[in-house]
Order: sequence, then structure tokens, then C-alpha cells
Amino acid sequence: DDAAGDAAAAERRRRKRRLRLEPPLSRGPAPQRAPGAPRAASNPNAPKVPEPASVLSGKRLDLHRRILALVRENNLDESALLTRHSIYSNCRPTVFTCNAVLAALLRQARYADLLSLHRFVTQASVAPTVATYNILLQAYCDCRRPDLALDHFRLLLKDDSPVLPSPTTYRILARSLAENAKLDQALELKDDMLERGLIAPDAHVYTFIMGGFVNAGDGDKAISLYEELREKLGGEPILDGMVYGNLMKGYFLKGMEAAAMDCYAEVLGEGSKVRFGAVSYNMVLDALGRNGRLDDALRLFDRMCMEHDPPRKVAVNLGSFNVMVDAYCRAERFQDAIEVFGKMAGKRCAPDALSYNNLIDWLGKNELVAEAEGLYREMGERGVNPDEYTYVLLVESCFKVDRVDDAVAYFYKMFDAGLRPNANAFNKVIGGLVKVDRLDEAQGILDMMPEKEVKPNIASYELLLSAYVDAARLDDAIKVAKGILLDESVVFSDEMKALLEGALEKEGREGDMTKLYEEVETEKAEAAARAAEEKARAEALAKAEEERKKAEAKAKEEAAARASRAAIEAVLGRKKEEEKEGSPDGRN
Amino acid sequence: AAASLCAMLSSPAAPAPNEVTLLTVLAACADSPSSPLARPLALSLHARALKLFPSHLLLSTCLARFYLASRVPHLALQLFDSMPVRSVVTYNTMISGLMRNGLVDSAFTVFDGMPAPDKVSWTALIDGCVKNGRHDEAIDCFRAMLLDAVEPDYVTLIAVVSACAEVGALGLGMWVHRLVLKKGLERNVRVANSMIDMYARCGQVELAAQVFQSMRKRTVVSWNSMIVGFAANGRCTDAIELFEEMRKQGFKPDAVTFTGVLTACSHAGLTEHGLRYYDLMTAQYGVTARMEHYGCVVDLLGRAGRLDEAMRMVETMPMQPNEVVLGALLAGCRMHGDVDMAEQLMQHLLELDPGGDANYVLLSNIYAAVGKWDGAGKVRTLMKARGVKKRPGYSAVEIHGDVHEFVSGDQSHPQAGEISQMLGLVRYEMERYGYDEHGGSFLNGD
Amino acid sequence: QQHATPPPPPTEPVAGPEELMRLCREGRVKDAVELLAKGARADPPTFYELAAACSNTKLLDELRKVHDFFLRSPFRGDLRVNNKLLEMYAKCASMPHARRTFDNMPDRDVDSWHIMIDGYSVNGLGDEALRLFELMKQSMPPTSHTYLLVLNACSNSEAIEEAFLYFDAMSRDHGIEPGVEHYVGLIEVLGKSGHLNEALEFIEKLPFEPNAMVWESVLNLARMNGDIDLEDRAEELLVSLDPSKENPKKLPTPPPKRRLGINMLDGRNKLAEYRLPPKIEKKVVSEQRYVPDTRYVLHDIDQEAKEQALLYHSERLAIAYGLISTPARTPLRIIKNLRICGDCHNAIKIMSRIVGRELIVRDNKRFHHFKDGKCSCGDYW
Repeated sequence: DDAAGDAAAAERRRRKRRLRLEPPLSRGPAPQRAPGAPRAASNPNAPKVPEPASVLSGKRLDLHRRILALVRENNLDESALLTRHSIYSNCRPTVFTCNAVLAALLRQARYADLLSLHRFVTQASVAPTVATYNILLQAYCDCRRPDLALDHFRLLLKDDSPVLPSPTTYRILARSLAENAKLDQALELKDDMLERGLIAPDAHVYTFIMGGFVNAGDGDKAISLYEELREKLGGEPILDGMVYGNLMKGYFLKGMEAAAMDCYAEVLGEGSKVRFGAVSYNMVLDALGRNGRLDDALRLFDRMCMEHDPPRKVAVNLGSFNVMVDAYCRAERFQDAIEVFGKMAGKRCAPDALSYNNLIDWLGKNELVAEAEGLYREMGERGVNPDEYTYVLLVESCFKVDRVDDAVAYFYKMFDAGLRPNANAFNKVIGGLVKVDRLDEAQGILDMMPEKEVKPNIASYELLLSAYVDAARLDDAIKVAKGILLDESVVFSDEMKALLEGALEKEGREGDMTKLYEEVETEKAEAAARAAEEKARAEALAKAEEERKKAEAKAKEEAAARASRAAIEAVLGRKKEEEKEGSPDGRN
Repeated sequence: AAASLCAMLSSPAAPAPNEVTLLTVLAACADSPSSPLARPLALSLHARALKLFPSHLLLSTCLARFYLASRVPHLALQLFDSMPVRSVVTYNTMISGLMRNGLVDSAFTVFDGMPAPDKVSWTALIDGCVKNGRHDEAIDCFRAMLLDAVEPDYVTLIAVVSACAEVGALGLGMWVHRLVLKKGLERNVRVANSMIDMYARCGQVELAAQVFQSMRKRTVVSWNSMIVGFAANGRCTDAIELFEEMRKQGFKPDAVTFTGVLTACSHAGLTEHGLRYYDLMTAQYGVTARMEHYGCVVDLLGRAGRLDEAMRMVETMPMQPNEVVLGALLAGCRMHGDVDMAEQLMQHLLELDPGGDANYVLLSNIYAAVGKWDGAGKVRTLMKARGVKKRPGYSAVEIHGDVHEFVSGDQSHPQAGEISQMLGLVRYEMERYGYDEHGGSFLNGD
Repeated sequence: QQHATPPPPPTEPVAGPEELMRLCREGRVKDAVELLAKGARADPPTFYELAAACSNTKLLDELRKVHDFFLRSPFRGDLRVNNKLLEMYAKCASMPHARRTFDNMPDRDVDSWHIMIDGYSVNGLGDEALRLFELMKQSMPPTSHTYLLVLNACSNSEAIEEAFLYFDAMSRDHGIEPGVEHYVGLIEVLGKSGHLNEALEFIEKLPFEPNAMVWESVLNLARMNGDIDLEDRAEELLVSLDPSKENPKKLPTPPPKRRLGINMLDGRNKLAEYRLPPKIEKKVVSEQRYVPDTRYVLHDIDQEAKEQALLYHSERLAIAYGLISTPARTPLRIIKNLRICGDCHNAIKIMSRIVGRELIVRDNKRFHHFKDGKCSCGDYW
């Protein structure tokens, strides 16, 4: 630990020596500089050292407070705008103020605005702190772009970077890499962390990477990572509870149930010094719930609820309830799942749309549609907006219990709610309708897609095509096939071709297939010809117009020039005459 | 009166004039310095006065007043220097007289020699500075006057306000406005008129309109200031509406009014309106068109592409068209790409005003606008050959009551580094402006 | 250009300390210094008051004069006055002067060192403060208070590792047991360096139950970093420990949209599978893009230099200076002697929008009121 700390400190000092200002004594009195104006650096391209915390005073502090108030009012547009406008003023926002707005944008998932503001403040030479970097990296990671996050992270590792990564920086990246199954890169990141020694080996970084391996089914690697961490930290027990959930999952994966439960008993038993909070508890809870240990999970959940004493101690959060919902549902105790979900508010937790979707998904799959619908109604009452995923789940649930009309009705509700379902969502309805032989309605849904600006995908066509073939409605099948052939963005698969050909053959209509191809060719050619003709006509029109204008302009120019020449001759001639005659005293 | 006095004086039979007579006569001369009798008469009186009443205070002062009025300030200065006794009135006469003769520095010297300048002296000084275009000094003097605890009167305030209008010192102008209110001078029409003018020329046409609205009595000048103010600030419709209102209320518009209205029309591109008002001016109101009116009309026609009509207007002008009028025509040529006319006009302009850089710039812009780059080069060569330099542009900005001036390319400002950084940022953002700001639009995906 | 300041009022022949003190009390430092220059007598308490009166950067010249007279006086060795001078130089943001004074002081006490260390960190020179602390240790033992100042210096130069090293050294090398305030000092080092998560983890590991002082510090750090959720939590904890800290004017917190990381459902959201990509509304402002129009430059120079010349047109210099000299969103009024050129007209239009100000330009022809990317002249100029 000490060695790593010393190395980090040495690294820091080395960078500082190179970057910081020369000792103040060697200079005369500092020139007067407007507060907040950037320091004049000798090399304008050298990265700037961020402003110290002491700059947050006076007028700049007032601005900071004003912007924080806007953030609290959730007026993020204005807070970002005021930040921008303050750059163009005698009171520039501090980097802390910029970070506050960026953090608020991140909190509201306004990623595009976040990036735009970040670009702007960077351009305006507001030197970033590690907090700025962390927000930016988190934004990229939220958008599942760990590659972009890594690009920015590398800036922090450059030799002349005045800012060094913090443990949080590594955690953000490790988590995102693990979640996106980029495990090699995650391991690289971890090794780099150990090698540079900028921060101590971090339990959270290890935990996230272990989680990645658990998801990939590699229990061995998860366990060996835990052992590596323990060794790096000097062989002592790890007191951060974060790592144990994934460790247990690792054991479970390898079928070492006893080892998992021993670990559980040890770190959560009497006299254990391991620290747990809501997040670390949830990970253990999840390990239990996923591995058929519902009773243990229930006991742990009770203990968490007992310990939960906000604000002092937060032992339960939204995630705890979601994990319990999953655990109950896995055990097919759906009523209990609904009940525990409903207890959330009692612990000051508010479910989000995804939590609802999760439970609706479980209920729908198990044909508890009325319960699922109850939750859907509750969302409305609680002001949680259902999304496309919610509606697709409801559509699927209703089809499952043959409430076809209700399924279609839920589908249509999406448009009333201003949502934008894509082809996959459409296919859910088409598929459902096809299954109950309501082909005309399914066709109607397919026909509706262009109007909703949705491009059908191949599945959309195939669902109908095979249904028409099954129902021996071959003319309609041919129509769909024509649609596929005319749609440049999809490919007519060989199986589908074979299916249609087979059906036609059965009816003795082999020739129809050739006819179809011919028709499509002609239509395509016709369309192409029409387009070409259209284009040519437009071009010709434009050209004629241009020439007309040119000629007109030229004529006008000539006329004007003629007129002006004559006029000028006249006026100049006359004035000169007058001048010669009059004004002998030479005025003017 | 001067004539009869003259006769009386020259008759030997007349009794020797006493000082009262002389004073009266001199005052008469000073009041009408352009009378052909005045100059010889006063000169002879000077001699006589010196003989009869050497170093008489009132007489000398009056004589000085005459010399100053007659545009012979050096004589006044000689007389002033030889005066053993001077009163405040003498000083004040000298200051305002010297100012009127454009001798600002001499006026300052006289002022500095004064034992106790009163508000008339300060006002003369300030007003003189304003009239001689030394607005900054006028403002400095006003501040010094306040520090000296001399109460300004409305004449002083009018002078200062016009200085503010000139340099755009809105802050000080508003401060004076408060002073006006405190002193209860807001009913003074001349004061109010100057406030309207000041606000309008500082770009605060709304405030100008407020002052105008609150006036109980208005003169033609009030209307004119407001109309011109609206016109200059791009509120063309307001200017024209106000003009109609003015006529409705029975005020007779004068040349200045029409300058405002025609300017409004030309700025708003209201060609037909403008021409109608021009006819109205000459036909109904009998106002003789001045150079600036021709300028507006030529501008109107030029912009509308009616270049031949514009040309005819220039042709029929009773006076030699100045560079403003021809410049307007030239601008019309530029707008409509008539290079031939522009070239010929330029020939004429060069004869008229060989040093006027603005026209070279305009011609070069015309060439550039129609894509004749060699033409632009020719103009440059011509300018070089004739030794014409582009007049340095300067801009002023008022910050916290102080006016800061900048000339193009100036890097000497103590904060030049920061200014340049700020410009760099603004420039960068301007070039990005309009590009898709959603550089990370893929991020909206989830 | 600046306008002249008023001439000074006439002064009495020679004044004494009483007169100087009176002027100080009336806030007339400049007059007092003037008197000093005219030979007024001052004693140590007067010098102390005179120095104390120079409390902002605008009065640095006065402070230097007072210092000069003090050095020429028989009391130049007075420790109390010297310490005050250090303090005031620090307040006037002039640490080089403070350091020169400090280096030349005949005696220094622990206060002198403290004032210097604090002065450096308040002026954002935390590294200098730490360097001075190393010097101090060679001449006198640091106290508990010294370490507080040192931690504060660390927090102003993001010296996290150093802070922990110093913290350890405190009891090890100097036998000073850390108090709550030192722990809070470390929390602030972390928080002010943008390590809020790390600060919270540090709090979890504290050897004592976090008290109101700790949560107040977290509250301030959360505000500083704009983390409103942490701010709420810290505030709640603080109020639970010290109800007098309740803020009745507190604004409610808007609910967050981003719940990633706490709902344990990461990777289970299939929303993206069923939703169309967002419509990207292209802004139709592209025609307003600024491209330098170098036709307006009448000099014989190459293209790049022409663009540069446009950039430095006097109206732009005046606007840029106006921007850096005035608060955000206040209008600027520019007066130009010539006609505004087409390029500047176009540029200032766009400028008015991006800088969020009304820009009023009066050229020799007319007014242009630029606002939100438009000009009152409707481009008909």
C-alpha cells in the first residue's frame, strides 16, 4: 500500500514540477488580471492546470449559486446557456460551475447537450478537473460507447496531463467494459491501474470485472481475480462488501455451493468487519436469489430492511426490490413479488419504468395479465411514463392469453402516447395476429408502417408471407413477395422463395413465379425510367430558367450601362461647364 | 442705429461722447458685426476709447466682444492681455468668444488664469468644447465642475448631454437625466429635446420615446429629434407614423423633419413612400431640398435599382453633388452590379474629393462584388499612387462610464492578450454556429 | 481613455498619529497615505491600522507606500505590524511582496508562518504553501493549527497523496493527535479535488461516528461540485444531527432520469430494441454560418492575413473588450467612426446570438441593434 502511495505521489510531483508555474518569487508583482481570466501560459498548447478551489469566491461564487439554483429548478437549458454566456463576460464560470451543469445534464440523461457543453467549455479553455473527465466518461459509458470513453481516458494518462485519474475514473471504465463484454480490455485496464500505481488496487474495479466474467459464465476467472485482489492488498480480508456478491456467483457457477455459503456466512456473520451498503448487499442478495436460495435471500432482505435507517444508513434501494422481485418470480411466487414491489415507497424508493417493465415481463410470461395491467395503470398514477418496451410487453401478454383485440389496442396506444415503436414492435403485433389467422388485420398493420415512418424489416414480410402460404391465399402471398423484391433494404431469403414456389407448384401455378419476377423487373425499370425522366425534366427546367435569367440580367445591365453612360456624360459635361462659368472664388 | 451714431460721432460739432455712448455704440457693433459700418466704426471707437478712457473695464470688455464677434480673435487676445483689470464677465466673454473662433486651447488658457470661474465660465468652456468637437474634454470639464462644487444650470446640462450623445456615454447621460429630474428641469423644452437626442443617439430609442411622451409642450425640434431618432435606430415605421402624427397636430415639418422621414424611407426601402414625401416637402411645404435630402432620394432610387432615375436626380440638382450623394449612387451601382456607371462616377468623385478614402473602398467593393478582382487591385494601386490611406476606423465602447477606444488591428491595449483570446473563441464558435450541434446524436439512442 | 481623478484636497502641514487613525477609521486610506508622504508621524499601532485599512487589491499601492514608510521608521522590526503587512499583502493577492517582507523580517513567530502558508493557499498557490511548510519545519515545530493550514493548502492544489502523508506524519513525527477538524481537512482535500466518491468512502472508514461538522463539509463539497443528490443527503444528515441547520428556503430536487447503476437491471433494458432512433432535427440556421468575407479587406495581403485583419476590425476589438469587462447578458454599445463593413455586420449578428447579448452599434450612418442573430436594419443597410 505504502509503496503504491509513494509511487503515485512521486508521479504527481514529477508532473507538477514540469507543469506548474515557476516560483512566484522570481517574478515581479503579478500583472493585474481580470478575475477568472485564464492564466497566460508560456506555451499556449500546453495543457492547463485546473483552477484551484479557492477561485470559487466573490462574483464567481454568486454565479455558481445562481446556476445551482437553476439546476434545482430543473431548468437545465437555462443553466447551460448562462454558463455559456458567462464565458463571454467579466465573470467566467469556474470549472466547478461547469462540472455542476455537466453533472446535472448527466443526471437527466441529456447526453447530447452534455457533450455540446463539454466541447464548448473545453474550447473556452476552462481547464478540466478529474471530475469533468469522470462525467464525460460516464456519459460515453451510459451510451454504451466505452471505446470513446477509453479514448478520452488516454488523455489523462499522457505525460503532460495535469490531471490524474481517480479511482472513480477506473471504476466507470471497468464497469462499462465488463458490461459490454469487453473483458480483455477490462483486464488491460486493471493491469494498467496496478502498473501505474496512480491509485491503490481498487475493490470496485475488481468487482466489476469479476461481474463481467460471471456473466460470461467464467467462474474460475472471477474467483482468481478475487484472490489476486486479496494478495495485492496484503492478504488481509477485504473489508469492502462490494466484491462478495460476484465472488459467491463465481462459486455458484462452479457448483461450489458450500464455498459460496461459507463465504456468505463469514462476511455477513457475527463479528464480521466487512462493510456493506445497499449496493454491496444487493449483489449478495442477487447471488442468493439467482441460485435458488430464496430463503436466505429473504432473511438477508429482512436484515437489510432492519438496518435501513436513512439518511444515516442506506441499506436498501431500488435495486434491492428489483432483485427480490426477480427472486420471488424465479420461485414462481408472483403475488409475493407484486407485494414486495409495492413496499418500495415505504423505504423511500421510487420504481422507474425499467423496474415496472421487469415485473410486467415476469407476470405476462406467466399469464398473469390482469396483474400486469394493474401495474401498467399504477405507472400512470405514479407519473412513471410507460415506454415502447412496456407496451410491447403488454401486447405480448395479451396475445398469450388470446386477448387479441386488447393486444392490438395496446399497440395503438403507443401512438397516442407519442412513442415511436420500430419494426420489431410492429412485428410483435403482426406475428400475434397471424397466429390467430387475422391476416387482413396483420396486412393492415404492415401497410400502416410507411405512414409511421417505419421501414419494415424482412421479418415483417416473412410473417405475412408464410401465413398467406399456410392459408393458401397465394395471390396475397405473391403481393407480399413483390413487396420484398421491390424493397431494396431487405433480401428475399432462399427458404421463403422455396416456400412460395412449393405452394405455387402445388396449385400448378409454377409460371406465376416467373411472372412475378418479370413484373418486378418491369416495374423497377419503369420506376427508374420515371425517375430519370423526372430528373431530366427538372434539370431542363432549371437550365432554361437560368438562361432566361442570365439573358434578362444581361439585357438589363446593358440598358443600365447605356443609360448611365449617357446620363453621366450629360451631368458631368454640364457641371463642368457650370464650374467654368461660375464660382470664381474657388469655393469647395 | 449704428449709422446715425456714426454720423454723430464723425461730426466735430457733436459733444465728446461719454463712456455710456461709447458702450452703447460698441455693443451695437458687437451685436451686428457683419454690418459694413461696424468694423471701421469700432476700430475708430477703439482708438478714441483708449484715448478718453484708458483701461475702462466695461469698454474693453465690450471691445473684446466685438473683436471676437468679428472673427479677429488675436486683437481680442491682445486687448485682453493688456487689460489691467478684468471682471468675470471679461473672462466669460473671452472664453465663449475664443471658443466660437475655434481657439479651444486659448480658451482653456484664459479659463485657467481665472481666479474663480462661475457656472457661466464652466458652461462656456463645456459648450465650447462640444461645439469644437472635443467631447471627451467637455465631459472631463463637467466632472471637474461638479468636483469644484459649481452648480450646473440647464445650459450646462444641454451642452453635456450633447457631448454624451456624441461619444455614446449613455451612463453619464442617464446620470444627467436624473440630475435634471432632481433640479425640476424636465419641463424645459430645450433640456427635454437634448435628452431625446442623447437617448436616440445612444441607441436607447425607447427611453427617448419615454421622454418625448412625457413632454407637455413640444416644439418642432422635439418632433424632429424623435423622428430622426426613430429613423436612425431602424424604427422606420415609428418614424413615419410620428411624422403623420406631427402633421395632424398642426406642426409644420421643416428640412430636418424631412431628413428624418426620408432617411427612414431609405433605410426601410420604402421607395414609393419616400418619393411621395419628397414631393410633399417641395410642393406642399415649400421646403427647399438640401444636399441630405438629395442623398436620401438618390439612395432610395439607387437601392430600388432605378439607377437612371437616380442619375437624373443628380443631374437636376441645383448644387454640385457632394460625395454623400454620389456615394449613395455608387452604393446603388454596387448593389445592382453596374460597374460601368460606377467607374464613370468614380472618375468624377476623384475630381471632387481626391482624398476621400470611403469612395475608393466603395469602388473596390463594387469590383469585388461583381468578381472583378483585377479592378479591386487597380483601386488599390490608385490609392497608393495618390497617397490616399484608408482612414483608420476606430470604435468606442462605454464601460462603467468610461469610454474606451480601439483602432483596427490595435494590439497595444493592456488586456490585448485576453481580448484576442476572446475574439479567438468567438470566432471559433461563430464558424461552428449552424453546424449540427448534436455532434453526439448517436447518444440519444437509448 | 480614463478620465482624470479629482485633485487632492489641500493638506495640513504635519499631522500626527491621531489624524491618521481618524482617516483610517473614516476609510480614507488614500488621504492618510498622502499625509504620511507629507511627513505625518505614525507609531506602531497607527502603522498597524494603516496596513489593515488596505484590504483589497485596489489598495495595493497604498499598502506598499505604508510599508515603505514603515521600513523607514524606527519601528520597522515590530512583529505585529510585520505580520499585519504579510496578511494584507496576501489579501491584496500579492504574495511576492508578502514573501519579500517575510524573508526580510528580523523575527518571525508561528503566526508569521501561518499567515504565509494560509496566504499562499488562499491565493491558489497551494504548492508554494507546502514548500514553505517544509521550510518552517526546519525552524520551528508545527502545531495542530499548522496542519490544518497545510491540509487546506493541499486541497487547493489537488495534493491528495501529500495530504495523507502529512496526516500520517502529524502524530508520527510531531506527536499531534488528529482532531475531527483534521479528518474534515482530509475530506475537503478529496472533495475539492473532485474525488467525492472517495471522500464518502473515507467517511465510512472514519474511526468515529461522523458528526455535524463532517456532514456540513460534505454538504459544501457537494454544492461545490454540483452533486445535488449528495447535497440532499448530506443536508438531511446534518439536520438530523443539528436541527438548527435546517434550510427553510431549500428548493426541491427534480427527480433524476438516469437510474443506471442502482436498479440492478443493467443490461436488461430492451427499450432500444423496440424504439425508432431519435429524429435529428437539423437546425436551419446553416445559412447563418459565418464565413469571413475578405472582399471587405482593402489591403494587399494574402487570404489568411485578410481573415486575420477582419478579426481585428476595431468594432470587434471593442466588443471583445466589452465582453471581458462586463457581466453576462448586459448590452454593449459600440460607436464607430466609419461605416460598419459587411463582414463585421454579418459577424456581429451571429455574435449577438452566441454571446447572448444585445450589441448596439452606431456607425457614421445609422444604428444597428443586433439581437438573437438579427439586426434591426433587417440587413438593409
